[in-house]
Amino acid sequence: MKRLLSISLLIVALVVMGWQLWPKESTAPTSYAGLGEGDDNFPQAKPGTMLNFPEDHGPHPDFRIEWWYLTGNLVAEDGRRFGVQWTLFRQAMAPPDLQQKTSDETPWASRQLWMAHAALSTPEDHLFSERFARGGVGQAGVKTTPFEAWIDNWSLRALGKDDSAGENDGSGFDHLLVTASGKEFGYRLTLDAEGPLVRHGTQGFSQKSADGQGSMYYSQPFFRVEGEVRVAGEPIAVTGRAWLDREWSSQLLGPTQSGWDWFSLHLDSGAKLMAFRLRGGDESGNENEDGSYLSGSWITPQGNITPLKPEDLNLMPLEYQTVAGREIPTRWRVQVPAHDLDVEVRARHPNQWMGTSFPYWEGMVTVSGSNEGEGYLEMTGYAGE
Amino acid sequence: MSTATPSVLRTTLATLLSHYRRHPGQLAMLLLGLWVASALWSGVQAINASARESYDRAESLFSADLDRITRRDGATLTLDDYRDLRRAGLPVSPIIEGELSLSDGESLMLIGIEPLSLPGGAPLAQQNGDADALGNWLIPPYRVRVAPDTLEKARALENLPPFEIAPDLPPATLVTDIAVAARLLDMDRRITRLVIAPERDVELPAAFVRTSPDTLASPGQLADSFHLNLTAMGLLALVVGLFIVHAALGLALEQRLGLLRTLRALGVPGRTLILALGLELLLMGLLGALLGIVSGVILAQLLLPDVAATLDSLYDTTVSNTLNLPWYYWLGGLAITLGGLFSAGASMLWRASRINVLGLGQAQAWRGRLRGQLRVQLLFGGALLAGAGFLWWYLASTAGRQDLALGFTLVALLLLGAALCLPPLLAGLLGLLARYLPRRAALLQWGVADLQLQLPQLSLAMMALLLALSANLGVGSMVGGFRLTFLDWLDQRLLADLYVRPAAEQFEDLESWLNERSEVATLLPARNTEAELIMDDKNAGAVALFGIAPKPILQETWPLLETRNGHEAAWQALTSGAAFINEQLARRQGLGPGDSLQLQGPSGLVTLSVAAVYPDYGNPRGEITLPVSRLATEFKAPSGTLGVVLAPTGDRVQTLSRLQEAMSERFNLAEENPSGGSLIDQQALKQVATEVFERTFAITRALNALTLGVAGLALLTTLLAQAEARRAQLAPLWALGVSRGRLVKLQIGQLVMACLGTALLAIPLGLLLTGALVAVINVAAFGWRLPLHIFPGQIAMTVTLAVVVAILAALIPAWRLRRVPPRQLLQEFAAA
Repeated sequence: MKRLLSISLLIVALVVMGWQLWPKESTAPTSYAGLGEGDDNFPQAKPGTMLNFPEDHGPHPDFRIEWWYLTGNLVAEDGRRFGVQWTLFRQAMAPPDLQQKTSDETPWASRQLWMAHAALSTPEDHLFSERFARGGVGQAGVKTTPFEAWIDNWSLRALGKDDSAGENDGSGFDHLLVTASGKEFGYRLTLDAEGPLVRHGTQGFSQKSADGQGSMYYSQPFFRVEGEVRVAGEPIAVTGRAWLDREWSSQLLGPTQSGWDWFSLHLDSGAKLMAFRLRGGDESGNENEDGSYLSGSWITPQGNITPLKPEDLNLMPLEYQTVAGREIPTRWRVQVPAHDLDVEVRARHPNQWMGTSFPYWEGMVTVSGSNEGEGYLEMTGYAGE
Repeated sequence: MSTATPSVLRTTLATLLSHYRRHPGQLAMLLLGLWVASALWSGVQAINASARESYDRAESLFSADLDRITRRDGATLTLDDYRDLRRAGLPVSPIIEGELSLSDGESLMLIGIEPLSLPGGAPLAQQNGDADALGNWLIPPYRVRVAPDTLEKARALENLPPFEIAPDLPPATLVTDIAVAARLLDMDRRITRLVIAPERDVELPAAFVRTSPDTLASPGQLADSFHLNLTAMGLLALVVGLFIVHAALGLALEQRLGLLRTLRALGVPGRTLILALGLELLLMGLLGALLGIVSGVILAQLLLPDVAATLDSLYDTTVSNTLNLPWYYWLGGLAITLGGLFSAGASMLWRASRINVLGLGQAQAWRGRLRGQLRVQLLFGGALLAGAGFLWWYLASTAGRQDLALGFTLVALLLLGAALCLPPLLAGLLGLLARYLPRRAALLQWGVADLQLQLPQLSLAMMALLLALSANLGVGSMVGGFRLTFLDWLDQRLLADLYVRPAAEQFEDLESWLNERSEVATLLPARNTEAELIMDDKNAGAVALFGIAPKPILQETWPLLETRNGHEAAWQALTSGAAFINEQLARRQGLGPGDSLQLQGPSGLVTLSVAAVYPDYGNPRGEITLPVSRLATEFKAPSGTLGVVLAPTGDRVQTLSRLQEAMSERFNLAEENPSGGSLIDQQALKQVATEVFERTFAITRALNALTLGVAGLALLTTLLAQAEARRAQLAPLWALGVSRGRLVKLQIGQLVMACLGTALLAIPLGLLLTGALVAVINVAAFGWRLPLHIFPGQIAMTVTLAVVVAILAALIPAWRLRRVPPRQLLQEFAAA
C-alpha cells in the first residue's frame, strides 16, 4: 500500500538530477498529480490474478512499480525500543514493449531503476540512508530460489529451508536475514515466519478506488526477529516482530490525492491490522465524507484475513505535531467496530522523519485502548511551510 | 565666491578643450596612452577572466574533486569490479572517459557517468526540474550534456543522443550516461576508472589503489601562477601607458597655465575650473577606456587560442577558445583605466587649483624646483630599491616556502625604484658630461645643458622606456635560459630511443624478447606509483615514486643538482638503499642529501636516506626516485614502461621502425592503444615537450614585444608633442648661424644620448630582473630554480633597439624643422 514510495521512484529523477529543486516541488500535492495517469502500455493488476510462489517473490519487470517492504518493532535487553525499516523499490522506466535492448547497447543499458531505504529508529533518534542503482549490472536485484533481494551490501535473503509455519514454497522466504548500514547505524537481523503469507483484498488483488484500479498485494506479518542493531558503533542485541509487504502495480494515484496514512499493527491478542487512508480522492463512489478512500485487512492470529471496506473502518487524527516544518498527526484513533477495536495509536516519538530524496514520516507506534500493541505508521504528503 | 552656472561651466570646458584643436598631437598622445594602457591591461584581463570561467566550470565537474580508484596491477577496470566493490559496500561510481575525434583533427572529451551512484550527483545537473529528466537520461534515446560554446563542434559528431545545454560544463566536454559512452567509445564492459567521495573512509581490497585529486597534478596552482604572470605583464603595460598619459597631461597643463590664469582673471570660479578640468579628464578617460577595452578584447581574441593551447598542454586544463566575459570584466576595465587616469591627472588638478592669478608672467616657473624634485625622486627610488634588496635577502633566506605575491612585489619594487632613480641619474650623467666636455665645443656644451633642461618633459617617456627595455631583457633572458636548460634536461632524461608500455601480463615476455634482440643495447625499465610521505611522524601528503634501473648509461646522463659525496657515490648509495629526490620535494620539505624521510608503503613504513637531488622541470609534484626493483617489491608498483636503448650501429630510424614493426606484430602494440600496451618514439616525445614549451612562452613574448613597442610610441609622441616648443628654443642657435642640418644632428645626438643612458641602465636592471625571475618567481611558482643564463647578443639587440627608437623619435621633428620655410620659423621664434 505504499504507493507514495512508488512515486518517489520517479522522484529519484529530481534527486539525482537536481537536488535543490526537489523540496519546493514536494510540498505541493499537485506535483505528483500527473503520476495518477495510467499508461496503457503497462499491464494492469487485475482481480482474478492468482499469486504463485516462489515466482511472485521475485520481480515483475513489466509492471511499472514494485517493492519489498519490511518494518520491525524491536526491544533491547534493557527495555529500549527500536524500529527498523528496510525497503527495496523497483521501477520500470519504459513499458514492456520498449524494454527490449537494441543490439548495439552495452551492459550498462537498462530500463529498470532500483532504490532502497533503510532506517533505524532509536528511543530518541531516527537514522536513515538511501541507495540507488540501475538494473542489469548486478548491483541491485531480486531472485527467488533461494530468495535474495539486494542493493549494494544491503540485502534481504533466505537463510535456510522453509518450514510448515510459513508458506513452504521452496524459496526460503520463511527464514530471512536482513542487513543494512548507513552513517552511524546498521543492523543484522534474522526473521522467522510464525504464520502464513496473507493475501490482501481478493486473493491478493487489492482494490484502490471505486473504478477498479489496484495492485497485487501480499504480506508476511508474522516474522519473529532476533539479531543486532548498531548505533554509533555500539552493538545492541534485540528481539521483536516484523512485517513484510510485497506489492506491484502499474496504476499510480488519482490526480487529486494529496497523500496517505498507512498502519500495520501487531495487537497483543495475536491479531494484526493493516489499514490505510488515501486523502483527498475524487468525490464519487466509496470515499467517505472528506473525500478520503479507506481500506484495510483484519488478520487473525492464524493468518485468516477479512478485507475491510471503507465503512468498516475509522481513522481519525487526534493530535498534530510539527516535524520537519510540517504539521503531522502523531496521535490517532483507529476503530474497527466489527472486531471490537477502538484504540489510540501514538508515535513513540515524533522525530521519525525520512529526510530522503522523497521525504515522508515512517516510524514505530504504540497501541492502547481496547487492545494493546505496537506497529508502524507511514504518513506522506503533508505540506511544509 | 560666485557659484558656477552650467553655461559658465560649458564655456570654460569648451575653452579648455579648444587647446586640443590647436595641438591635436597632444590629444592624440593622450588618447594613445590611455588606449594602450587600457588595451593591454584589459586584453590580459579578458584572457584571465575567460580562463577563470573555464576553470570554474572544470572544477564544478563531478570528477574534479573525487578520489580515483584504479587496479594496483594496472589492468583495466570492468563493470564486474564496479559491481563487486558496490556489493562489498564501497560507494564507488564508474566513469568512462575518451576522446571523440572531429574531422578537423580536434577532439572532444566524452565522459560517461553513472548518475545513480555518482557521489553528490548534484553539480552534474542544473536540471530544469521535470520528473522525466532521469528517465530521459537513462533510457533511449538518452541525452548528452554540452556547454553552449561546444555545441557547434558536437553537432559534427554522428550517433550522439539529443543535446541538453549545460553552461556549467567545461569547454570541449560532453557528458552522457555511461551506457552511451560505453557504446560510443566501444568499451563494452570496460570502464576508465572508479571514483569515490574523498570523505568516504573505506577499506579497499588490496588489488586496488586510491588516489586523491590533490595528489594529482594541481592545475589550479600552476594555472594561477601562469595567470599571475599574465597579470604582471598587463600591469606593466598599464603603468607604461599611464606614464604616457601623465606626460601628456603635464604638457597640456603647462601649456594652458596662461589660459587658466586668464580664465580665472575673467572671473571663472576656481571650483568651476577644476570641475571643467575633471570633466575633461573624464571625457578623455571614457573615450580612451572604450577604445582600449574594445581593442583589448580583440587582442585577447587573437591571443586566446595560444593561451588555451598553452594551458591545455601545460596543465591539462581545457580553456574555451572563445571569450566569455562576465559583466564585472567590463566595469573593472573601465574602473582601472579611469582610476589610472585620475591618479595621473591628480597632480594636474592639484597644480591647477593652486594657480596664482597674479603669476601671469612666471609661466613654467615651477622648473626652478627641478633640483629639489630630482633629489626627492632619488630618495624615493633609493628607498624602493633598498626595499627590493631587503625582500630579496628575506626570500633567499627562507628558501622553500616562498610566496609568489612577495616575489612579484620584489619585481615591482625593483622596477619602480629604478624608474624613479632614472631622471636624477641621467641628470648626474649629463652634469658629469658637461664638466668634462672641452670648453671650446660650445655647441656640445649647449646640447648637454639643453638636454638637462628637457629632462623633466622627457623623464616620464624615458622611465617608460627603461621599464620596457629591462622587462624585455629580463623576460627574454629568463625564457632563453629556460629553453636551454629544459632542452638540455630533456636530452638527458629521454635517453632511450623507444618507450614501450606493455599490458601487465605481457611485461615479462616482452622484456625477455627485447633482451634477446641484437639491435637492443640496454633496457631501462621504469615504474610509477605513489606513497604517503611521513615527515616528523606526520603525514605530509602523497608523493610520486619513480623507479629507474641504475645502469651505467643512465648514470652518465642523469643530471644531479646536489649530492653528498659526488656523483658516483650517490649512485652507489642509490643501489644500496638510498633515494634520490627531485628539487620540488627538496624545496618543499627542506630536504637535502644526507637527510632521511619515511614513506608509508603497502607493506609498512620504509625509511630512506636522501643521496641526491635532481632537477625535474615541468613536474608540479614532489617525486622520489628509487631502483625499479624496490618499487616492484616494496611498493607494489604496476608494471610500467620499458625504455629501449638501441645499439649504436646502423641507421637509427630504420632499426627503430623494424623493431617497432616486429614488436607490434608479436605483442599487439600500437601508438595509441587504450586497452593494451603502447609504443612511444622518443623523438616524438621530445617534439611534443618542445612544442609545449614554445607555446608556454609565446604569449609572454608577444606581450613583451607589445610593451616595448608602446614605450617606443610613448617616446615618439612625447617628442612630437614638444616639437613646436622645442623649435622656439632652437631659434637663438639658428639666429647665431648654426645651420639647420647641424641643429638636426644636435637634436638626434641629444636623444640618442638620453636613450643610450637609459638603455645602459636597463642592462643591469634587466639582469637583476632575470635573477629575480629565475631565482625567486620561478621557485615560488613552479618549485624549481633555473640557472642564470646571460645572452650578450640579446643585450646588444636591446641597446640597439633603444637607439633606433631614439633616432626614429628624433627624426620626425627634425625632418619638420628642415622642411618648415624660414619665414614661418622666424615667426615662431619671434613669438618665443
